[in-house]
Amino acid sequence: MIKSMHKKSHKHKGFGTPLIKCLTECDKGEEVKVLSVNAGYGAKRRLANLGIVPGTIIKKKKEAPFHGPLEIYVKGTSLVIGRGIASKILVECDEACSY
Amino acid sequence: MSCHLPKKPKKNGKYKDSINIALAGNPNVGKSVIFNQLTGLSQTIGNWPGKTVERMEGYLDFLGYHFNIVDLPGIYSISTYSLEEIVSREYIVSDEVDLIINVIDATNLERNLFFTFQLLELKVPMILAINQMDILRKRKIDLDFEELERIFKLPVLPVVAVHGTGVHQLLEEAIEMAVYRHTHSHFNGSEPEECTHHGHDHYREEHVHDKVETWPSLKKEFEFPDLSSILSFGKEVETKIKELIKEINQNNEYFSSFHYPSRFLAIKLLEDDEEIKKIFDEDNETRKIVELANNYRKKLEDYHGEDIHTIISSEIYNNIHQIIEKVVHIKSKEKIKKISLADKIDHLTTHSFWGYVILAFVIFGIYAFTFIIGDLLGGLIELIYEDLSLMVYDAYGENNIWVKIFWNGGVGGFFGALGGVLVYVIPFFLIIEILQDSGYLPRAAFLMDRIMHAIGVHGKTIIPMILGFGCNVPACAGCRIMETEREKKISIVLTSLIPCAAVMVVVMGLVGRYLGLFWLLFLFAINFSVILLVGRVLNKTMPGVCTELIMEMHEYRVPNYNVITKQTWLRSKEFIYKALPLIIVLGITLEILLELRALDPINIILSPITVFWLGLPIVTGVFLIYGILRKELTLILLALLASSMGLTLLELMTPIQMIVFCLVTMLYIPCFATIIIIAKQTSWKYALQISFMEISVALLIGGLIHFSYIFFITL
Repeated sequence: MIKSMHKKSHKHKGFGTPLIKCLTECDKGEEVKVLSVNAGYGAKRRLANLGIVPGTIIKKKKEAPFHGPLEIYVKGTSLVIGRGIASKILVECDEACSY
Repeated sequence: MSCHLPKKPKKNGKYKDSINIALAGNPNVGKSVIFNQLTGLSQTIGNWPGKTVERMEGYLDFLGYHFNIVDLPGIYSISTYSLEEIVSREYIVSDEVDLIINVIDATNLERNLFFTFQLLELKVPMILAINQMDILRKRKIDLDFEELERIFKLPVLPVVAVHGTGVHQLLEEAIEMAVYRHTHSHFNGSEPEECTHHGHDHYREEHVHDKVETWPSLKKEFEFPDLSSILSFGKEVETKIKELIKEINQNNEYFSSFHYPSRFLAIKLLEDDEEIKKIFDEDNETRKIVELANNYRKKLEDYHGEDIHTIISSEIYNNIHQIIEKVVHIKSKEKIKKISLADKIDHLTTHSFWGYVILAFVIFGIYAFTFIIGDLLGGLIELIYEDLSLMVYDAYGENNIWVKIFWNGGVGGFFGALGGVLVYVIPFFLIIEILQDSGYLPRAAFLMDRIMHAIGVHGKTIIPMILGFGCNVPACAGCRIMETEREKKISIVLTSLIPCAAVMVVVMGLVGRYLGLFWLLFLFAINFSVILLVGRVLNKTMPGVCTELIMEMHEYRVPNYNVITKQTWLRSKEFIYKALPLIIVLGITLEILLELRALDPINIILSPITVFWLGLPIVTGVFLIYGILRKELTLILLALLASSMGLTLLELMTPIQMIVFCLVTMLYIPCFATIIIIAKQTSWKYALQISFMEISVALLIGGLIHFSYIFFITL
């Protein structure tokens, strides 16, 4: 039940495939380029240290159930980031995009 | 065992031929595997002075040298994001370290080199150990070590830590750096890795004299290679840094006492680093430099339209990118798209349905494992103790007061701790290490993050909480993985409220056995509601905000036998040394109190609480006090009393008394060993606050149930 609801919301968000969106709106497996990170001071610094800066290519791997955190693939490793932060990361679909 | 206690390694300077090494690197790069390979059983766990960060230390003697090795916490950078980072940074530049071995994961060069670049700024003698070379080879990726050494002008060595390959070469290189390098100016960087021990022995003897003369000032004599070509940033940033360096160098005398290179100070000032700014708080002149840096930061941020951390991180990653292009050669272009077993397990354990099923099984598994093994061994130890007791009683008489105090109290306490706590703690440590090393725990955090936010913490808290189901003692110690002090404090409280295996004994033995599943679930529902409520209240009242989850989720791997067994032993050893003596002392104290008949008054003093408020039999007062020592004692003593009176437990206590008694046992206080661990992790004040809070909560709920029951039957 929960799973099917999840899928539906995905489709809805993917509709129209906008070029700029936040990381939470990306589809599973989508490869995107970071445009800006608008998280708080501490989180931003931590993300920068982990290589999530404008221009970095990241791939969304999966999402935890119940609107949970996201697993992304960046610079050779998997990172889990909370949904709150992920929603503050703006990304862009470029040529490398899977669409 | 005590005769094998490791000698406290002497601090630098006391040994003529000791080399102090710090292992530094990102988390999960195999640092602890290398540390284990090198130091074996000589390891000790302590705390960094004045900090709650764990300090792993060990030593070994190799090729005639004494190596003191400190395994620094795994971190991603050396700013001031966490206590670990501050501790590591201060330690690296201190006089206690001769050189660092930077462990790098070959499969994740980019992120690992980011940390390396920060270490380079500290200008401390360094060896780069590139680990997991076997995996890189399997992926058909070539790494140009000669080029790496040419770029970094430092020794770069390939290592396969899990097999122990290349690990001791690191030490040979360290000797070379410490002894050989500054006596031979023509030394050209690296020695081929296959050089034999014999060869090293040879030159070592040859230069013993030099070594003694130049010892122990390796760090001061070591000329750090000029790496400005790879460390420089873009023009705008670099000119600002140069300006700041100029200012700093004018006060060179003052700053040199902090051991930080001026370029490092300049960068950190630009980054608005709180700890570094404190150094500049000396007088007006140095404070001016801070103002200048603030000014520069603003200019740079305006120019780039980004904040300073993003700018500097981007610059570093740019430099890294250029190096990677030079040294990494991918031999086969085709990507291997085979789905490995690890991927399949990953998929299953993070699945939106099966993930939770597996999580439930893991928690159940922790219970079952600690329980079965602990029960088995505990029973065995109890048998031994009983046999020994009979012998002692035969020899000295059962009612001899000294026998009572020292045998029943002291030795009994010792065996009790051994058979009642340690046998649960050791298998439990083992299972934690397996879960930790295999990489399961971050998956649990991933699944539970959303749910944990309802309590006011992020997903990582679930890790110590899961561990808490086995035993609260190591679980509370495990709360150190939380990044901020606030999260650590909240996690410790929540973890101490998780019903551990010992509490399960009581609850299953009373409510589970006599009243059935419904009331069992009722008790658990109350327990978890309390956790939820306490979490929410703490989240509201504690200053600061709940941070969000950011963590690495490394691939599943087969746990390393060496690391697991050694870590288990190490943690058990720590428990034996730290908690066991206290438990014995407490045992003796209780026995003395019993002998003085001081417990009867205690029962009477406690009776307003136990009898009036909770509606329990008067004897339970003392039992609950014993329960602080070991929670399952409450049930054991109750059962003993019942059998001595020729009654069953059901005849001794009414069902409602059982429920209240179990509930109070579940919640009323962390056990003594847990309180000690909490105090070690935070402070005694906090540990006592938690105990007090939990006593109040337990009494409140227990009383509520008792009185609502009375209210219900009078209706």
